Amino acid sequence: MIKINNLDFAYKNTQVFKNISLEFPKGNIYGLLGENGVGKTTLLKLICGLQKPQHGSVTVDGLIPSERQPQFLQNVYFLPEEVITEDTTPEKFVQKIGVFYPRYDFALFNQLMKELEVDLSKKFNELSHGQKKKALLACAMSLQTDYLFLDEPTNGLDIPSKALFRKVISQYCSDDTTVIISTHQVKDVENLIDPIVILDRDDVLLNASFAEIIDKVYFEYGPERLQNAYYTEMLPGGYINVMPNTEHLESNVNIEALFNAVMKNKETIKNLMK
Amino acid sequence: MNNTLDIKRFGKVLRRDGLNFFPNLILSLAILWAIPVVIYLFTSLMPTDGTKNVFDAFGRINIIETLTKIAIIIAPARLYQYCNDSRKGIGYAMLPASTLEKFLSMVIYCVIVTPIIYVAGALAIDSILALFNGPYEGFAATYYFNEFAQIDSSIANHDVAGLLDDTWPIFVKNLSPTFLRILSLLGLLTLSSIFMFGNMIFKKRKTGKMIGILILLAIIIMIISINYVANNEALIEYFNQINENNVTEFIERMIFIWMNVALYTEIIVSALLLFGVYRKIKTQKY
Repeated sequence: MIKINNLDFAYKNTQVFKNISLEFPKGNIYGLLGENGVGKTTLLKLICGLQKPQHGSVTVDGLIPSERQPQFLQNVYFLPEEVITEDTTPEKFVQKIGVFYPRYDFALFNQLMKELEVDLSKKFNELSHGQKKKALLACAMSLQTDYLFLDEPTNGLDIPSKALFRKVISQYCSDDTTVIISTHQVKDVENLIDPIVILDRDDVLLNASFAEIIDKVYFEYGPERLQNAYYTEMLPGGYINVMPNTEHLESNVNIEALFNAVMKNKETIKNLMK
Repeated sequence: MNNTLDIKRFGKVLRRDGLNFFPNLILSLAILWAIPVVIYLFTSLMPTDGTKNVFDAFGRINIIETLTKIAIIIAPARLYQYCNDSRKGIGYAMLPASTLEKFLSMVIYCVIVTPIIYVAGALAIDSILALFNGPYEGFAATYYFNEFAQIDSSIANHDVAGLLDDTWPIFVKNLSPTFLRILSLLGLLTLSSIFMFGNMIFKKRKTGKMIGILILLAIIIMIISINYVANNEALIEYFNQINENNVTEFIERMIFIWMNVALYTEIIVSALLLFGVYRKIKTQKY
């Protein structure tokens, strides 16, 4: 379990987090959403131990990430947004790092490369940006760490690749694996993530599962714009209205509409979800 | 699980760094290996007055030693170029090994493996060139490991230790072959630790910036020393007593003192810089 308590973090004069507390229980695929620059990547780096909190604490299964102990590092893998590769094949790369991870599975790597349609024989620098990203995802998943952190994983992927990405994440992540996907492209992770964490500058606006969200918020698709909606958006054929769910009606979460509703009614929805 | 030093895991770190060693450093080493070959060709082609141009083995050993130092200087930035890079260094930071294991592996490759591989290659090339009837006479490899023995005998011929009175500490008077070996190896360790530290604190143009800092430091130390000597009457009086009868004794004594100052400076500087490298690996933020 990842526990963040009273975390303060700033880059020089820019405050990123101020007294935030969050918990990520094990075994879920979390969507870490937020506008550009709110600190999604910074939060992942703090959880990975690549940055150190200035105040408060971050623990992962009771271990302090910034101490970078092997016991912690062998259970986490962070795939950054920027594709950084070595002058080698993905196969050689994964063999080189795989030996450090106790549950690394080379057969799984080959299978994932096949599923993601990446050419095994080519070096990283012979692959396209999207292919590199998929190869690195296959490497990351074959390590079978308890925690997998993906920073904007769908950036640069074409539409079929985004579908493949969703497929492999949902198919190959075990029930014990905790995945945190940081993204601002919410549609790419629809039907994949649950719970959702929405960050704002200095604050956490939402940290709730789909069940908790639909218990309190109702997504109504209809022909008209409703007055008491938190947020309304025009869709082909009508409107989507994000409403308070006072009558406990069932609906499907529309992540993009939810995100926009949260951004427009920060305090209201924050208090509603408490 | 041992989170400080696990031999099996350390072996994996060594293997990983070893796999990066040749792709990252081989081109630089090849250029350094080519220099004695260029010198050979240059010496062969130089016009002579009928006698054969000769470049003796001791001169070549000096060149190999200088080039070894250059290999040591460039090794950290070539082998661990991105370890403190905020984007490219993430893989290094997240590698499941302890700080001590990463640090020891870095020290082994920069301080031990690089000079051994360079010297072995350079001596092999020298031996091949010496087989031809060219300017390289004698095998540098034959004399390379006897160098200390020659220094020993040269020291024995000058009873330097006897020149210092009893007020000098024992370590100063014991100018033994072991002392010289330690001093020589410490010099390489200090050189390597300086550039390993530079590799950890600078993000770009690491070696160049460190050389710049060393030049600046040398100038500052020189200015301070000159000022100190110029304003120290006792020292000036001591220098004034030097004449043609005691100048050799003076020079030998100075060398002797310098060697001991160097020994302690190198120990302190190496220890501090290596600790700095360790701390940077442990606390580097990305």
